[in-house]
Amino acid sequence: MRPGWMTLLLCCALCGGAQAESALKDFFTQHCVKCHGPKKQKGKVRLDGAIDRLFADAQLAETLVSVIEDGEMPPKEAPQPTAAARANAVKLLTRRILASRPANPIKRLTRAEYANTLYDLFGVDFDFNDLLPPDHVEAGFDKFGESHLMSPHQVMAYLKTARFVAEHLLPDAKPETRTWEFEAPHFHGSKNFAVGGGGDYRDGDGYVLTGFRPYRSNVHFSTDPDGYERFIVPAFGLYRLEVQAHSVKSNEGEVIGINLGDGRHPTTFRNIRRVPMPHGAKGFTTELILKAGDQLAFTFDSARAPGRGGDPRKYKGPRMRFTHLKVTGPLIEAWPTTAMRDILPKPKMTPAELVDHIALLLTQRPLLAKDRAAFVKVARRQQKSGASTMATARNVLIALLTSPHFIYKSESPDLTGVELAHRLSYFLWNSVPDAELLAAGKSGALAKDPSAQVDRLLADKKADRFIDDYTRQWLQRDKVDDFGPDVRVYKDVRRMTVDSMGREGRELFAHLLKNDLSMEHFIDSDFVMVNDRLARFYGLPKVKGDDFVPAKLPADSERGGLVAQAGFLKLTSTDFTTSPIHRGSWILKNLYNEKIDPPADVVINEPDIRGTTTVREALLKHQQFASCARCHSKIDPLGFALEYYDPVGRKRSEYRHVEVVSTKKLKFTKVPIDATMKLPDGREVRDLPTLKAALMADQEKVLKGIIGKLISYALGRETTWADRSYIDSVYKTSKGRNHSLRAAIEAIVAHPEFGRK
Amino acid sequence: MQRRTFLKGAGVALLLPRLESLGQVAKQSPRRLLTIVNHLSFYQPELLPKATGAIKEPPPLLANLSDHFEHLKMYSGLNNPAVQNGFGHTPCVGILSGYFNKLHRKNRISIDQAVADNMGEETRFRSLVFQAGENLNFSQISWDKHGLPVQQIDSPRKIFNLLFQVNENEKVQQQILAEDRSILDAVLAQAKSMEKRLNATDRAKMDEYLSSVRDAEKTVRKQARWSGRPKPKVDYEIEAFDRKSVDDYVGTLLDLAVLALETDSTRAVTVQIPFWEGFKEPDMGGNYHDLSHHGKKPEKIEKLLLLEHGILKRISAALSTMKERKVGSSSLFDQTTTLLTASMGSANAHNFDDLPALVFDRRMKSSGYWRKKDVPMSNLYLGLLQHFGVERNHFGESNGAFDLLA
Repeated sequence: MRPGWMTLLLCCALCGGAQAESALKDFFTQHCVKCHGPKKQKGKVRLDGAIDRLFADAQLAETLVSVIEDGEMPPKEAPQPTAAARANAVKLLTRRILASRPANPIKRLTRAEYANTLYDLFGVDFDFNDLLPPDHVEAGFDKFGESHLMSPHQVMAYLKTARFVAEHLLPDAKPETRTWEFEAPHFHGSKNFAVGGGGDYRDGDGYVLTGFRPYRSNVHFSTDPDGYERFIVPAFGLYRLEVQAHSVKSNEGEVIGINLGDGRHPTTFRNIRRVPMPHGAKGFTTELILKAGDQLAFTFDSARAPGRGGDPRKYKGPRMRFTHLKVTGPLIEAWPTTAMRDILPKPKMTPAELVDHIALLLTQRPLLAKDRAAFVKVARRQQKSGASTMATARNVLIALLTSPHFIYKSESPDLTGVELAHRLSYFLWNSVPDAELLAAGKSGALAKDPSAQVDRLLADKKADRFIDDYTRQWLQRDKVDDFGPDVRVYKDVRRMTVDSMGREGRELFAHLLKNDLSMEHFIDSDFVMVNDRLARFYGLPKVKGDDFVPAKLPADSERGGLVAQAGFLKLTSTDFTTSPIHRGSWILKNLYNEKIDPPADVVINEPDIRGTTTVREALLKHQQFASCARCHSKIDPLGFALEYYDPVGRKRSEYRHVEVVSTKKLKFTKVPIDATMKLPDGREVRDLPTLKAALMADQEKVLKGIIGKLISYALGRETTWADRSYIDSVYKTSKGRNHSLRAAIEAIVAHPEFGRK
Repeated sequence: MQRRTFLKGAGVALLLPRLESLGQVAKQSPRRLLTIVNHLSFYQPELLPKATGAIKEPPPLLANLSDHFEHLKMYSGLNNPAVQNGFGHTPCVGILSGYFNKLHRKNRISIDQAVADNMGEETRFRSLVFQAGENLNFSQISWDKHGLPVQQIDSPRKIFNLLFQVNENEKVQQQILAEDRSILDAVLAQAKSMEKRLNATDRAKMDEYLSSVRDAEKTVRKQARWSGRPKPKVDYEIEAFDRKSVDDYVGTLLDLAVLALETDSTRAVTVQIPFWEGFKEPDMGGNYHDLSHHGKKPEKIEKLLLLEHGILKRISAALSTMKERKVGSSSLFDQTTTLLTASMGSANAHNFDDLPALVFDRRMKSSGYWRKKDVPMSNLYLGLLQHFGVERNHFGESNGAFDLLA
């Protein structure tokens, strides 16, 4: 009996599969193989082989189903399948794709996660920019395991970083706190104008920055008056800076930049903080983590000097006068420090105790016995050589911080309670869970109903890291200043205006999240988030201060929504020109969550665009190539509609074509704008309002795109066709709450898929 | 454009210790490899001679290298068949491997590393690879034998410090290296034990970690060996260079490359010409990357050429410097094979075939220009590798080998 049953079962399973397979094969043969078969392989795609082979390439399978569903394929000029045949093919394809789960490879901590984790564990705000390599950003996010490459260099960097961390968390001796005071004779400018020049000057009471030479202007400090023993931070630790400085000839708030680097060669500066100085302020006090060898320099970041070309001696505008600086550090709150007490709770600990304790402290997961022996050996060897418990603990800490136990996130196929807590906190805090979240994970309460924890996490200050990190990557905020606005062309766009542009997207996200507002505001909105500078830039009623507040837009304003933000319009432009392709593909990738890669076999022969004056003419030439047209018919109209906004995001009514005649001389020619184009489905877009209307008509698609982005950030992998039901369900839940962003995030976490690897 | 004098490197002189005095130079001079990759390629209409064979009337770009024609074999029309399946600049990462694996971001060994594997053990650094500027993902072009990325250094200052900065605390350094070894042992053991519990995809990831740790161990062991020996001293100030200036920055990179070879700090140096947005000449409108997408507009090409002339002048100057510098009994140029290539045929068309390659070597019997079509770049690499004494009959996607010394 038994074999018979088996054969029957097997036969049935095979029959069902075989039927579906032959139906798909028929569909391909009828509609696709002519161009994607033995004779031609357009796009290097062949659909005449065995069906199984097709599904071996997950990306191809997904592209197939989406081009068939959207009616992109077969192309318009070819005979079309019936609606029923099309739907059936999509159904069969989808079933196959859903049957295989998207892989979610093991992930390591990103640089930001690593830093936040150490801060939350030990209370020290390390800056790892010089120690750990930056993370590779794949499809928009650096959190994807897929793109986390490991290399000998990366391992050495982990080892070095771990040593740095251990030496500063567990020092042999208490660092000595010192104080330095600096006055006018200790203040210096860059190599080219050490005691003044280029608009800056030193006088009896202080050093005055005008920012006239934006890339040179800075003030830094020597330990000897009038000499040049530069002030170099002697030891790692927390330092307090007390600065006396005030603006002159200014009637508004100004901003001072704190930079690390050699002030004589300011091109190497790294800005580590910007301190807003409200109008009338006499200085500021701030605390910073600095390390041995760091050098400090201040810049006048809100300077409005006209830049090159002007005469600095005739400049009468705002300036910043520095009169006194007091530096105190390293500051030690208690001795032994909390970190020392946490890592070494008892004065004497056995090697095994040390390893178990530190392993648990780092990841809240115990080390398996099999894994722990090697670390115990490290500790034992240290102790045998006569090292102190402190030195032994240091080595154990270094080893564990370099090991997969800490570097890699642990994720079972179905996440355990602790793993779920980790996934949630690396999503909303970009860091380790705290005790309460862990407890909820362990008790199973988190898996049952995460809403209370989501609320608590989002209410915490640590949620700012999620907002920062997520919007930085999603909206590419860090690219806003890739091209400095050319002061010869954009006379009123200054460093701090650009800085504010980069912050706007983040502030909008934060505002929607905090106030339970609809994600539709990402598409269009009746308000914008602005601070003093951005309000002035947008021509809105005056706003006071550097902090962002919502401002209601006048009825005739085109602003509101992400695509009307100056930051987006600027980051998608180059020095002098806008780039409709860049803008259009940004919208498709970041709002629609579409993957757009050129097909493999396209040789991008850039057409001869001599004689074309506008981007439009140049682009229309591109569209003549059939291979380009498939994507560009989607990309170009979206980007073109924004042509009424210039490279820094200001409204314009015509192109100002810039030719550089000489350093100081530019030639401008005016060319009329024609932004009208048709989307592939025939809808016409011609300017920003009609573009936003088109996006709003696609509301469901766009919001699902945004949800997809959030999910891929949370799960650390790209969303695929197989995530459709997850995305649909989140969309449905948030729709029931007026499309609230907060509701979407809650629904993402509450969905069972969030609890799976 | 030429604010720096033609040859800043002229002021460079070795102070001490001369390497021979340490008895480090073998009787037979070692071979060295300098690889230079320009990702944005060169404007080929002004680079390629009209006729093949001996170069008689060099077009303007090529003319910059005229001092070295005698020892130059130049090729055009080379191809990288396995690099075509990417887009944007990502396939550039495969230029030295002749291969590009888009999905796994791993690769096959690159030519500079294949050479370094053969002779890198005798020097402080196996190889030195300069990044094309700061933080550019697609400028990872050096891959080790596991296909893992080799560390590339992104700033001239870091390169200089690595090569010549004196390490003050030797004793502590030795102690740290010993600790590092024991720590890496432990880490390796944990990774091995953990690997067994993973699924196939994750195991592949953990394999990357394992082989990385093993290589890191080797590095530490080698560092321990070298930490007792002083670094060479050079009379070179790395101070004022403009990181935005093509001319200035490329000049600095090449100075460092020559110094690294001259001091025998390493025998394989790979330099990439940077091309990040904003890399240009300070007083020029438009940047290098933007100008490379010239759309055949003459005014853009004119500026692009200005930058390319600057780059080639710097390269020519570096070759001249190598001819002047004596190491042991012959000049540095005599001991060094220099490869100059590009990861694109034309940055305007963004194509990854039709690549130019220039090989400079004192030993070659005939020089000149060869026009190829659809011949894998890997054939050149294989020839190069064989001249370095590596017994291999295949590299990347090779289907033959160039005889570069003929």
